[in-house]
Amino acid sequence: MRLRNLSVLATAALLVASACNSSGATPAPATTGPGASTVASAPASAPAGNVAVKIGIELPLTGGEAPNGQPTANGVALAISKLTVPGFTITIEQKDDALNGHHDPPTGAANVTALANDPAVLFVVGPYNSNVAQAEIPVSNAAGLMQCSPANTNPGLTKTWGGVDPKTLRPTHPDQIAYVRVATTDDLQGAGGADIAYNVAHAKNAYVVDDTETYGKGLADVFATDFAKLGGTVLKRDGIPTSTTDFTSYITALKGLTGLDYVYYGGVTTSGIGVFRSQMAAQSMASIPFGVGDGAVDGSAATASSFLNLAGADGDANTYGTVAATHDIPNPAQFTTDYKAMFNTEPGSYSAAGYGCTQVFLQALQAVGPADGSDLVKLRADIRAYVADSSHSYDTALGTFSFDAAGDTSQHIISYYGFDAGTKDWKFLQQRDFTANPMQ
Amino acid sequence: MSVLSMASTRRSLPNIPWRTVGGMAIALVVAYLVILNASGPQAQEQFINALTTGALYALIALGYTMVYGIIELINFAHGEIFMCGSFVAYLLITTFGFSGAITDLPLLAGVLFVVFLVSMLSMGVVGVIIERFAYRPLRNAPRLAPLITAIGVSFILQNIVFVGISNSVVSVPKLIPFTILNLGPVSIREINLVVIVLAIVLMVGLQLFTTRTRLGTAMRSTALDREAAQLMGVDINRTIAITFFIGAALAGAAGVVQTQYLGVTHFRIGFQDGLFAFTAAVLGGIGNTTGAAVGAFVIGFLQVISSAYGYGRWNEAIIFATLVLVLIFRPTGILGQQLAERA
Amino acid sequence: MTAATGSKPLRPRDVVIQVRDIFDRHQSLTIVIGAIAVIFILPFVATLPPFNGFGKQNDWINTFADAGVFVLLASGLNVVVGLAGLLDLGYAAFFAIGAYTYAYGASSFTGLHIPFWIMLFVGAGVAATFGLLLGAPTLRLRGDYLAIVTLGFGEIVPVVILNSDQLTRGTNGITGINQPDLYGILGINSFGFQSPFLYFVTVVAIVTVAFILLYRLQDSRIGRAWVAVREDELAAASMGINTVTTKLLAFSIGATTSGLGGAFYASKLGIVSPDQFDFTVSFTVLAMVVLGGMGNTWGVAAGAFIIFEIQHQGLKTLGDFVQSLHIPTFALGPLTVDLSTFNFLNYQYLLYGLALVLMMLIRPEGLFPSRRRRRELHAEGDEVAELLSAETLEPT
Repeated sequence: MRLRNLSVLATAALLVASACNSSGATPAPATTGPGASTVASAPASAPAGNVAVKIGIELPLTGGEAPNGQPTANGVALAISKLTVPGFTITIEQKDDALNGHHDPPTGAANVTALANDPAVLFVVGPYNSNVAQAEIPVSNAAGLMQCSPANTNPGLTKTWGGVDPKTLRPTHPDQIAYVRVATTDDLQGAGGADIAYNVAHAKNAYVVDDTETYGKGLADVFATDFAKLGGTVLKRDGIPTSTTDFTSYITALKGLTGLDYVYYGGVTTSGIGVFRSQMAAQSMASIPFGVGDGAVDGSAATASSFLNLAGADGDANTYGTVAATHDIPNPAQFTTDYKAMFNTEPGSYSAAGYGCTQVFLQALQAVGPADGSDLVKLRADIRAYVADSSHSYDTALGTFSFDAAGDTSQHIISYYGFDAGTKDWKFLQQRDFTANPMQ
Repeated sequence: MSVLSMASTRRSLPNIPWRTVGGMAIALVVAYLVILNASGPQAQEQFINALTTGALYALIALGYTMVYGIIELINFAHGEIFMCGSFVAYLLITTFGFSGAITDLPLLAGVLFVVFLVSMLSMGVVGVIIERFAYRPLRNAPRLAPLITAIGVSFILQNIVFVGISNSVVSVPKLIPFTILNLGPVSIREINLVVIVLAIVLMVGLQLFTTRTRLGTAMRSTALDREAAQLMGVDINRTIAITFFIGAALAGAAGVVQTQYLGVTHFRIGFQDGLFAFTAAVLGGIGNTTGAAVGAFVIGFLQVISSAYGYGRWNEAIIFATLVLVLIFRPTGILGQQLAERA
Repeated sequence: MTAATGSKPLRPRDVVIQVRDIFDRHQSLTIVIGAIAVIFILPFVATLPPFNGFGKQNDWINTFADAGVFVLLASGLNVVVGLAGLLDLGYAAFFAIGAYTYAYGASSFTGLHIPFWIMLFVGAGVAATFGLLLGAPTLRLRGDYLAIVTLGFGEIVPVVILNSDQLTRGTNGITGINQPDLYGILGINSFGFQSPFLYFVTVVAIVTVAFILLYRLQDSRIGRAWVAVREDELAAASMGINTVTTKLLAFSIGATTSGLGGAFYASKLGIVSPDQFDFTVSFTVLAMVVLGGMGNTWGVAAGAFIIFEIQHQGLKTLGDFVQSLHIPTFALGPLTVDLSTFNFLNYQYLLYGLALVLMMLIRPEGLFPSRRRRRELHAEGDEVAELLSAETLEPT
């Protein structure tokens, strides 16, 4: 009996976190992903007299989501290591919103609460997923802590969408924003997809399908509306649950759509879009162009488990993708070189966005820092006010932009990509600035 | 269907349950008509899709139902064995260096044979190991304990693959050419034919094994009444181990089928497909191997019909709602269960 | 050990028996005192090492409030699985119903802003009704058929919510859900998003009320009927117990706490969406019940709390700890093990699975089993002697 009790305790000990934890506020090393190395986020010895402040990271860093969040976090770390603001020593406070390998809104909310409770945290980069943002915006709004998302594209976070006013996400201070994003929104990305379908691929009849998740469905809905507005016809509108691996019945059904000349699939690669395309190709339908959003523009055909890789050589032909960001970032080669020097791997899709968000913070800190000195409360509030002020613009790795009153970036640019059989990768076709050139 | 009719092992003709077969035939015709209504010219292809999907689920469902029949355990780890089987196939095929269809028939047959053999044997062994260390000690524990353990084992298997092989969707080269065979009025792809025939062969083989061999009889008797079987000299531990072996081997075969038919695998497919397969087993009547097959085909057809009619997004709800409805009117499944009656 | 009459030395066992007696006689009071103690003790413990290394007190209190939701869920599932013996694998469906009920009653989506405190009752009522609705089809099913049907419901409900865009906003979920509001009492209006302590106290209060009711039910005819049905349905029926109403009540009352938990969860988070209520949630609550100690309400609550904290804090800090040790790489047979980049979170499922398997092998009755269960599984020599020598018969 004693032995059994001891074993129980031993089991419990296996479960319970160990007693000595010294990490506290120092950043956890970035340890997932290929060739990852530790994040150095602060100079070894802080010059005396500097105010110690922190930038928070709130991203999914583990499990299946690590390929999304980790490179983005690395972008932040790169920025902090390269850029400084006189008078301040900046460290990173990193939080992970993945629970059991999947992004989890309540965990995200708890993380932002914890970051907000730390007076030294003046700014948060994150989150990556739009539904996590829905849980976090009320918290950061209540705390007056500015968040910059590198990747959220759901329009409802900042604009009225589906009849819902974004102020419902800000019950504490409805007229103050504490959330901005450098990625532009899916209403533009879906329009871009429709633009490609109608004007680049010259399609008239489309099959529109989504993976029943927020991002995919939103994108597909916008595509369907805008494609019809341009003059096309949506032959069929479908939703395939993300857990599906057997698309054969859907592919067979495609054959019944007469005149089909475009397929648009809104969703992320892990929902099986690549598999769908490969099965299309297997059924001799690779000649029908296939359009995706940035959830599937995730690497070349050589990148393991990317959309192009899973679609197979036959399926890759005639594919188009959109990315909710400008292609023409100033000096991409330099960024790649710097990133590789620090992390030994290629930058991810949102590394530059993470870098850009950090630059927004640093520029705001530079502007309000001197006046506020070491008053952390005032610093946080003033940074929030500074970034929320739409008259300010930022010079970043993503180019120069400002935020509008709702928190959206002024870069309303969607980049169009097509598959290039030579490089077996996405090739930039063109980009469209939807402010200057809106969809009719 | 009834216990007594399955008890004999020395009949010269297999005892075909004509009512079941007749019912199935009528159901197939009805299903075809339903599909025809939605799909028109693609109806034949969709029908074959349904049969193939059903065959895949049947291979997994058999393992569930056999294990449940013999020790009344919902083996949640079974779906992960299917998933591991598919990864074994993936590793073998990529190690051999194949990257596409093999047109040389003897070579194709040889490679497939090896892949199936290795996958089935290795998964069988894994199944036996799991039973030995995770379930056997809990044979007399309250019912929930092995259930929790089973889920724990499924987490472990998922994580091993997640960390050891890939944390995302993995593409597997399809070795069987995608050519269409025209057999009279029916045109069917090679791969579909292979899957369906394979499933039927394995199921018939299983049925023959359980009805014609001593080991099979031992399995059935252990399922009926463990104590009485022991008194009759059946080695319970060995019999249960063999049951797990066979069930896991079938799941391993299903894993290979998954890679060859669908060309992908993922560390999470065990959960989803396992859930449907277990639903199939319950639908048909848990403990009843014919029932598991019937249930699997029902689910395959439901999936195809729902997507043909444009209700693909309601797929899971439709399947489970069907399960609930069937169980309300037939609480022991379509073909009834084959379990010992507990006091 | 032989019993001695007159004065005996006070053994720990006697103290435990005395405490149990006091508890049994003054149940509700004990629960309330326990709740008050928790409100003071837990935040205090959060300031002590090692816990203060993992986060600030306020962050801990925030997770305590979040854990409270699962304590409620686990207590409810305990009624279904632990007391009545009905294997329910789809409890997340009730959680979803509870959360969405609150979202309908108190958000900008419907325009209704019914106060949180009233919605608690409404939510409990709606959940209880669904408990009846979802329990009804299962009445004729035995054992594992019941399990798979409940699993089916657990899958159907989120899918229906996901696809009913008009009613539920589908995958986008419902936002702008109201927080609890005291309307000026004690100077507090809306709880907002910066007062974890208010949420913590509220959830402890809800748990207290729920526990008082659950313990009363456990001791009542219904409670005994549940245990009877769990142990042997046929015998129970022949003793005159209406198994139909007993089982329906189990589902219904078990679902009630999910209505409470769902309301609290939705109000604290401010949003609900269907992907928060999948099978992992059902399984987590079931694991909490089994690992906590099926049939034992406070055991299940403790189990829920512990597992929740481990899931949300444990592995991350374990990973940080191992990394901070800076163990150099070493060789383990043909493999080189490099612990400095070893990310425990990648192995989280493995560790969780191992822990589940080990727990079931070593202690299948759970950490804090009910007295009946412990006797069933570990009929130890001296316990039996105890019983024989006890002066009073212990209640079960």
